[in-house]
Amino acid sequence: MNTDALKELLYKIADDQLILGHRNSEWTGVGPLLEEDIAFSSMAQDKVGQSYQLYQMLHQMGEQEPDTVAFMRNANQFHNSQFVELPVGEYDFSLIRHFLFDHAELIRFSMLSQSSYEPLAQLARKIKGELKYHVMHANSIIKQLGNATEESISRLQKSLEGALPYALGLFEPSPFEEALKEGGIFEGETALQAKWEESIRKIVEQTALQLPDLKTLTPVYGGRSGVHTEHLQPLLDEMAEVFRVDPTAEW
Amino acid sequence: MASTFIQSLDPRVTRLQMPEDINQQPLQSEALDQLVTFQVFMQKKEGKNFEHAGIVHAPTVELALLYAKEQYSRRFTCSGMAVAETSTVMASPYTDGGISVYQLLEGEAEATTATADVYEVFHLMKRGKQHEHAGSVEANSVEDAFYKAKESLMPEKPVLNIWLIRRDDLLTVDEEDKDIWNTLPEKGYRDAAAYKAGDKLKDFKEKNEATSSH
Repeated sequence: MNTDALKELLYKIADDQLILGHRNSEWTGVGPLLEEDIAFSSMAQDKVGQSYQLYQMLHQMGEQEPDTVAFMRNANQFHNSQFVELPVGEYDFSLIRHFLFDHAELIRFSMLSQSSYEPLAQLARKIKGELKYHVMHANSIIKQLGNATEESISRLQKSLEGALPYALGLFEPSPFEEALKEGGIFEGETALQAKWEESIRKIVEQTALQLPDLKTLTPVYGGRSGVHTEHLQPLLDEMAEVFRVDPTAEW
Repeated sequence: MASTFIQSLDPRVTRLQMPEDINQQPLQSEALDQLVTFQVFMQKKEGKNFEHAGIVHAPTVELALLYAKEQYSRRFTCSGMAVAETSTVMASPYTDGGISVYQLLEGEAEATTATADVYEVFHLMKRGKQHEHAGSVEANSVEDAFYKAKESLMPEKPVLNIWLIRRDDLLTVDEEDKDIWNTLPEKGYRDAAAYKAGDKLKDFKEKNEATSSH
């Protein structure tokens, strides 16, 4: 098995989950209604919990402890897509990101449930329920607001157009695409992107929103190789604040 | 107009740029969206009866079901959930002193017609406990459903309160989506387990007593 290829895959998935989980937790206590606040925060916790499982897997492959990996790296050592590090913005943007990201995540993990790397396949089967719920939540709220008022529709449309080039960055090809496919570890980003496009289109078609022609968009790449926006480092500083004061603290 | 914003130790709060006098500003009640409430029923394990869990606010019944899941099952395992808009719940009067609500019902159930509805019946057996699903009946009207429930579902022990909900008014998780209850079992990171508030309180009290005795 190609260990480098596997590690690269695990790091980018885990980093996406950790960073988006942290970002989305910024809505805790200030969400638009209590029940939505609780649901959105709980999904953010799911993501952090999932990233922890992957960091554990990496630790068993010889990488550092999950806490060290999460709190001690600098921005250029993170492999998350730039999409997940963008600020939460207004709620319309956070919802669109949730919708676009979680569709990709559900498909990615359903592909991984067939992975030849058994621990990953097992984890994928374990968290399928969480991911499915995230997509059900995203679909319900996008369908609701995407058909509601002129304001809700135009806000979502604007956020959708702004988010899509970054969302396409989720599928930035890895230098290990071929190795992953040959080893039966993962079918690859191109296959994932094709399924994702079909999956989001089905929902957008049930709303008043217009999905732009994705071929005309330039994907924002770079995140997978450590190139990030100015928004990531402040997030990491905030996330690691307690750990850097006292690495033994439990909270 | 306030010219400065609230500065908090929580950077998320600071970023909201809330005016310092926000708590002195009157609430615009007409601008508050009032959402309807839904009653939530939860099944803790396969084979157990659904029990009333509480209430959620939501814009639609679909979102109510999704909110109910996170509201009531995020820290526990759960195998099923159902929601109904509060206005669709038909409640009997309450009884006390060992009298069953069913004893107050005088009359006979009618023969059901082809247009009869299925009603789900929930019993409250003890004050302070939750309403628990007792079964379902087919009836032509709500009134008739109470009589039908008396015929087929009345337990020996007194029932203090009965709720009836038409099955069509209840939304449950589709069979194909039941895997949403498969979640990571380790949910320790959801609890502030390492935050020992009791110890901190004890230390604080001891310190206070020590200083006041001097």
